[in-house]
Parts: sequence; C-alpha cells; structure tokens
Amino acid sequence: MTFAALKSSSEPILIRRLLFMILTVGLSLSNLFAAGTVTVDYRLFPGLAEMDGNWAALSVASDGRAYAGLACHGCNGHLVMYDPATDRVTDIGNLTHLAGEANLHVGPQSKIHAKFGEGQDGRIYFGTHAGWWYDYARVGTREGYPGAHWMAYDPKTGKVEDFGIGSRFEGMNTGAYDPKFNRIYGLTHPRGHFVYYDVATGRSVDKGRMNNFESICRTLGIDDQGNVYGNIGAGQIYKYDPRTDEITELPLHIPVRQKGISLGRDYNKSETHWRTLVWDVATRRFYGVDESASLLFSFDPHAGPYGEVKSLGQLAVEAMKDSREIPYATLALALGRDRKLYYAVPEKEFDYGGSAGVGVSHLLTYNIQTGIKEDLGEMRLPDGRRVIGLNSADTGADGSIYFVGAIEVRAESGRPVESAGTIGGVPYRLALVIYHPQRSTR
Amino acid sequence: MMRRWLLPLLLTVLSSPFALAQRDAGYDAVVVPQNRIDARDLGYPPIDVIPNGDSAITSLTVAPNGNLYGATSGKHSYLFVLNPRHGYVQPLGVVPEATAVANAVVVASNGDVYIGTAPAGHLLKYVPQDEDRQSIRIKEPCAVKDLGMAVKGESIAALAIDREAQIVYGLTAPNAHFFEYNLVTGAFADAGVVAHSRPEGEKFETQKVFSSALILDQAGNVYASGEDAFFYTFDKARRALVKLPIQVPAIPGREPWTCAESFVRDAAGFIYGGTSDGYLFRFDPAKLTVQNLGKPLLAPEITALALAPDGKIYGVGGSDQDMARLFSYDPVTAAYEILGFVDVNRRPYYSWQAYVVRAMASGLDGTIYMGESERVSRLYLLYPVMSNAR
Repeated sequence: MTFAALKSSSEPILIRRLLFMILTVGLSLSNLFAAGTVTVDYRLFPGLAEMDGNWAALSVASDGRAYAGLACHGCNGHLVMYDPATDRVTDIGNLTHLAGEANLHVGPQSKIHAKFGEGQDGRIYFGTHAGWWYDYARVGTREGYPGAHWMAYDPKTGKVEDFGIGSRFEGMNTGAYDPKFNRIYGLTHPRGHFVYYDVATGRSVDKGRMNNFESICRTLGIDDQGNVYGNIGAGQIYKYDPRTDEITELPLHIPVRQKGISLGRDYNKSETHWRTLVWDVATRRFYGVDESASLLFSFDPHAGPYGEVKSLGQLAVEAMKDSREIPYATLALALGRDRKLYYAVPEKEFDYGGSAGVGVSHLLTYNIQTGIKEDLGEMRLPDGRRVIGLNSADTGADGSIYFVGAIEVRAESGRPVESAGTIGGVPYRLALVIYHPQRSTR
Repeated sequence: MMRRWLLPLLLTVLSSPFALAQRDAGYDAVVVPQNRIDARDLGYPPIDVIPNGDSAITSLTVAPNGNLYGATSGKHSYLFVLNPRHGYVQPLGVVPEATAVANAVVVASNGDVYIGTAPAGHLLKYVPQDEDRQSIRIKEPCAVKDLGMAVKGESIAALAIDREAQIVYGLTAPNAHFFEYNLVTGAFADAGVVAHSRPEGEKFETQKVFSSALILDQAGNVYASGEDAFFYTFDKARRALVKLPIQVPAIPGREPWTCAESFVRDAAGFIYGGTSDGYLFRFDPAKLTVQNLGKPLLAPEITALALAPDGKIYGVGGSDQDMARLFSYDPVTAAYEILGFVDVNRRPYYSWQAYVVRAMASGLDGTIYMGESERVSRLYLLYPVMSNAR
C-alpha cells in the first residue's frame, strides 16, 4: 500500500488501524519511557567530525587519560586521547599512517574495535580493524584489507609502535590486553579466530576458529590470573589458559535469549553471546550483558571446577523489558567507583548510520551490593541535545563515567553542519560523553 | 492533524526491525544457492560430537556401498562414517597416535577402511562392523588394526587405492617417499621419492614441495606431482616410480613452489587437478599431455575436487587464510561457474560458513560431500544441478 493509496475514502479507518497497530507493537516508544533526564557533559573530537562510529574502543589509563578509537568507514580511523587534567583532546594519529600503509592504496585501517590495555611498562596496547567488507569480495585481493596491526602507544614519548600484522586480510574485531602475560588477545573478523600477540617475544599466534563471521564474540574477558574468556554457540563460555596455551570449552553458559525471533539481527546470527563484560577486582568476578536481550549476569571464574554464572535479570528500560524489540545490547558498560554498573542503552536499535531510527540513550545502573536497578533517564547534553546512542564506556580516576558515541548535531546559522552522517534523518557526530555520578542532576 | 502524522508513522513502521526479517539478499547472492546445500554436525551435539579442535575434516572417501568415510585433524584425529540412508555423521572414535589424517582414508572393495596417520606414519585398518548398531564413540579409541609404519620416520601424507589389485599407495612427509602396501601379502615397499630437496626459499620455508594427493588412471597407474612440479607415475606394470617429462601448470619460474593439491578422475579417464596456485588442469594419462584450464577463482589454491554424475567437476578454492568458494567446470562447454561461499543458512546453522575446505568426495547418488577444515568444522552436502543434456 502506498501513501497515495491511503488518501482514499477509507482513510480515517486506515489511519486508526495504523495507529492502533503501531501502539500495539510498541514502536512508538517515546511515551513509554517514563524516566527523567540525566544531563551529561561532553567533549568533541576537533577536526574529526567525519569519524562515524566507535565500538568498545575506550579505556581510561592509570594516569586518568582516556583513550578512544574513532572509526571511519571508507577512510582512516584515528586514535585520540582525552586528558582530564588539561581538559584537552589530542589526535594521536591516523591509523593507516601509523601502520605505514598510507601509500599502499589498500583497505584502510579504519577502526580500533576493542578496548585498550595498559601494560606494566605504561604503554597502551591495542589492535586495528577494517571498515567496509564488501560482502567479503575483497578478502585476499590486491585492494583488500591487508590485516590488523598490533600496536602500542607510549605516553612517555608520544610515539606509536607498530608490531606488524597478525592475521593477514583480517581485522581485529574483538580484543583485550593482559598486563600479567603482556599479551594482546583478539578475535579476528571475518573468520573468528582466537589470536594473540606476545609482546615480549614478538610472536603472533593463531589458535584457530571460534565463531562465525556474523557472530564473533564482542568482548574477551581477562581475569586476575591472566585467563581469557569468550563465548561460543548459545552463550557457552570458553577459557584460554596462557600457562597451557590451550582453549577449553567449559560446561557453562550465560543466560541468553533463545534464538528464533526473526528480527534481522537475530536471524543473521549463528551464535548468541555476551555483548560486553567488565571485571570487578573486589569480588573477582565478571559482570556482563547478553547481546540479544541485555540479560545481566555475573561470572565468577574461580568458583568450582569451571566457574559459576548467576543470572541477574534484565538490564533494560522498563518499557522494553521482555519486549521482542529490545534494542541490541551496547558495548557501553562500566563499573563505577560507587560499585554500580553503568550501562547506556539506546531507545531504538542503534548502530550509528545503520540505526533503526533516532532516539535518546538512557543511562541505567545496577548496584552490585544491593541488586537495585535504576533508570537515570534520557541522556541529554547541557543544551538539551540528545545523546542518541553510545557504544563504549570506562570509568575515570575520579569516578566519572566516560562513554563514546553519537550525539545530535544542530545546525547553527551561518555555519556548516559538521557531522558524520545522519541517524533517522538527524545529523550526528561522535563525542566523548562524561557522566559525573557525584555531580550530575537529573 | 492525522495526515500530518501519518507519513512519519508509516516510515517508522517501515524502518523498524520488522523490515529486517531475513538475511540481506545481497549476501544470498555471494553464497552457494541455499536449496542446493546442507550441513551436518560431526555427531550428535552437544555431547556426542567430535570436539572443536579435533574436527578439521582432512580426508573424505566413499566406500563401494556408498557410505562416506572421513577423518579429522587436530589435537586428535577422529574417524567417522555417514550412511546416506541415515544421513547423519557417526563418529567412530579416536585414531590412535594421530593428530592428522590428510587425504589418507581409502576403502577396499570388501569395505575395509585404510587410514594413513601423521605424525606416526602408520597404516591402520578399520573393519566396519554393523556400524548402525554401534553407539557413538567420542574420545574412545577407534577399533583399528595397526599394519605398521610405511616408511620409518615418515608421516603418511596421502593415500590412494587400487581396489582391483588390492594395493594401497601412499606418499610420505617430509621426504616425499612413494610407497605401496599389498593388502594380500601385508608387505610395504618403498618405491623412491618424488622430491629430493626443498626448493630455494626463505629461511622459514622448510618443506619439500610435492602433491597433497594421489590419483590412479583407469589402468591402475598412480600419479603425483613432485619436485619442480613434474609429474611422477608409479607404473603398475613395471612396479617402478618414473619421473614424467610433464609438469603441473604454473607461471614460468614458479614451478619449484607448485604442486597438485587435489585430483579427480572422470568417466573418460581424464585426470583433473587443482594446483597450489589455483589453476585447474586436465591431464590425459594416455597421451601424457596437460592442459591448463585456467583459474576459476581469485584464490591461491584449489584445495579439493569432486566429480558430479553429469561430468561436471566441482572444486573449492582458497587458502588457509582465505574464505573458501565453490566452483564448477563443465568439460563440455569449457565454462566455469562460480557458485560462491560455502554457507548453510537455515536453523540451526543460520549463516554458518566454511572458510577452509580441504576434502571433497562424490557420493554414489550424486551428492557431493565437502569437509570443512578448521578448528570448528562441519560436513557439507551439495546437491548439484544436473545438466539435462548429458
């Protein structure tokens, strides 16, 4: 049925039916989000308005500086740093240049797609990732992506060291750094291999395939013993032990929403995993959310022979709980110094330019000590603009919660709009979003 | 008032997740047609299945009765069978002292299965015994008889069988010995080597270059590629290994690093081969001529080949660092068809894709089996579209 067809004599009936349907299926969500507003601070990335996404790549180092990877599809990603002491954002560099590939005319280093890690030497370790994949038609070709680089940024010298390519033709979809064994771990895209780079020896190791291309586990968790954990299949946990160099698939599962809901994202996924998780030093366990329905869980890797998983319910906006259309989980989970988990969730399916529409991100909390969940409300900038969606988070030295994601851009008279694109027709750009738990007003 | 809201609301409906109920059609176009392909887990998951890490399928062969036998590589090697009437993979246990069985499972005319192991280099015999009534054996040893070591200190790198003559032929690694094993006398014989030295190369290149598979012609002569891409034959009548004056196709100058990765023989007796550089060739053993049929894929290797009942050759190409694609070659029209990624998109697999395929075999009913060769692997079943004109 076309819009013109609706202009018939039956228009009022059709309109009523349409409205009823929309309300029934819960697509008009704005009136269902009853929570208030939380005002957040933000910093732009100067000169980098075209950066169009950020996924997981945000970590705060021990000196309080926040490092972020800004993605650019079809162009070069950037490594940036925010120093709260000077309140200054620095563009450390263009990833393709840092990889020494600026003149090769091959697929660019468009992203850092995982968290950074801080080594005992004070360096910041990470891996790079590609942007476009062209239905994998360019994998292994002359113009294709050459492969992810292992890298380290040294805050003392301001230099980036490139350790070279680990897996040819593949990006570092997921990553984590372990200071104990001085290794950068990763899961490659598209082939889902578990790989690592041993910094001390310069060895790059491929332990083989774990996942399918559309279901690569998005976060690797590392415990205080240096064991690495990921997901396969329907939320099954595997463990990599650096002492034995072996991967063990544990008889342990996180809570996941059963597959079979034919939303596009679910249908396309062969496996269901945790979306993200954080390590709690105090309780020596992980807290995480599943990707399909934001089911919250804890995972104690030291309990019993294999560890123990506890379901902690759903970490979702009240109106979306148990809803079929709950947006895909974000990577924006952090553990605050107040013992609360902070989790930013979008109002609508959010993936920057590929989002299902524009909405406002909510900030949810889960108090680890009391088990109380709270929706702090819509995240808005001081001038009222929307925080549309966030996809990375970490906690600052002063307890501030940092996020990176998309904020609304409004046109100012006489000035061109600087944006990365649009979400639901609304211009957006990336920003470092800062929530101050002690200072923020709701 | 209502009209003002109608268009935005309609757009909201159309852009909602309900509009995304299936896989993107663009991706459907780059994979094998989904009504022609299926997959099987290697056992009964989640428990009675060949474990990840042991499941890379590196050998497939079809027995005279139509059963498919295969073996895996990994931390351990497993033997398995698929009875087409049952349709599922039945693991038969761990192959003793083996981490790899590469193109090294053959079946004799009486149904006995012979397995060549690596790194131990033993030839093993498995006698099928009422498999349909056996329970699945995971992590238990496969009941095999050890026939001994083919060549001392060498792994078995490939096997072939002359069912009529009751002789198993093999290649070993790392030193490329060609051997035979007489099923009647139980004797091994080392016929010599097909590669004497490793080619010039970088420090990390330590292997001799020779074929990953063996093939018999209709007369029972056996062929392999050896040093500098030259063909070698084991002459059945003379019982001798002979270097032939013909080579596997390669860019001039690349012969030292070129080998045949895969072979298949058609009904007319022509031998088709896939090279390490991704060329398909046709070898006429009667005339000792080689025709380069070109490169079907933008990929460095043709890792496996199989023959369809209508005479088409099906193959898979792509290296261990690539994403495998399936193609077919029609000898009548001399045309290739690129069929796309090896992917099965149905529950419970959704969009599961094989990135590395290193074994293929043709079933008696025309089904083509493909063995995924990765840490996590499945068996794929292809139902080729038959040419009516044949």
